[in-house]
Amino acid sequence: MCGTCGCSDPKNAVTMTDLETGSATVLRNGAITATHGAAQSEVRKHEHAASHDHHEHGHSHAHDHEHHHHDHDDVPHVHGPNGEVITLETAVLAKNDQIATRNRGWFLGRGVLALNLVSSPGAGKTALLERTIRDLGGEMDICVVEGDQMTTNDAERIREAGARAVQINTGAGCHLEADMIARAIETLNPQSGAVMFIENVGNLVCPAMFDLGERMKVAIISTTEGEDKPLKYPHMFQAADLVIINKIDLAPHVDFDEERCLDNIGKVNPQAKVVQLSAKTGEGMDSWLDALRGLRKSEASIT
Amino acid sequence: MHELGLTRNIVSIVSEHAGTRKVKRVKVAIGPRACVERQALSFCFDLVSQGTPLDGARLEFAEADGETFVIKEYEIEEAH
Repeated sequence: MCGTCGCSDPKNAVTMTDLETGSATVLRNGAITATHGAAQSEVRKHEHAASHDHHEHGHSHAHDHEHHHHDHDDVPHVHGPNGEVITLETAVLAKNDQIATRNRGWFLGRGVLALNLVSSPGAGKTALLERTIRDLGGEMDICVVEGDQMTTNDAERIREAGARAVQINTGAGCHLEADMIARAIETLNPQSGAVMFIENVGNLVCPAMFDLGERMKVAIISTTEGEDKPLKYPHMFQAADLVIINKIDLAPHVDFDEERCLDNIGKVNPQAKVVQLSAKTGEGMDSWLDALRGLRKSEASIT
Repeated sequence: MHELGLTRNIVSIVSEHAGTRKVKRVKVAIGPRACVERQALSFCFDLVSQGTPLDGARLEFAEADGETFVIKEYEIEEAH
């Protein structure tokens, strides 16, 4: 297993449960050889040990990370003795990024606002969604993709709050990936003008690196977690355009230092918009709902 | 975290490309913001490559910028 966290245990399959019908679909089986599919890469040149200073590649994948780096001589290496060296220059996450790009195109084409909600477990993602659905009272069409390792508890809560939901269980997996969202889109089929919330697996590490095709990531931090979360998990807070500080009703009881928290968010991501609220008492919900309305409006105007 | 899944991607991409030829070395470039732990990747690589054309291959690393996480190249073992 993964030496660090034991994620992706081969015994664990990834499943999706449609709460409307109760039917569960296996998205991935758990065999260790079941990979995410190989990325498409094209190799124009094969090279041999003697000469390797020409690097031309014909890439067709929509991913802009690997195109900047053509400095192949950064680490000297010896080929040998006669082994053929094949240049790939393929992004390890190319397949995920391709599917994410397709998802993004689908959302844009239909005018659906997709938001990827990320936080540590227990920050209040589901509670915020429940409150959002109830407070909006049908003002906008909302559907939710719930990601958790196990149980359909969260999707059931969303359904009770009044929105359609599918539950993706990642088994031992620690994040959602773009192909899972593609399947969820097929099932939920959000209509034009809808908002699709993707509640990622509670984890401030891995979800940062997996693009799902969302319009933006929304990071949620709660006052009980401590003000230094943004400094401890900078990747996630850098990846988010909006940061919600939840459970502000508890702030006085847990000695939450608001100024320090805002300062820390600003240090890792000066551009991030910050909203403070309590999903429990409703305080601050208006700013979040206004931000949501604004995003939805701009999504509709893109199309 | 998640290095096992990432390693599966690496092994899958290279195996598909190499076909039946045995691979003796794979080089990946990792940027400082890629969220990838090299040690965990190496650990997973030995595990995941078993029974594939990459069985026994060496995983090498190169420095890169930003979020880069790319398979740079691989080397085929010469047929005897």
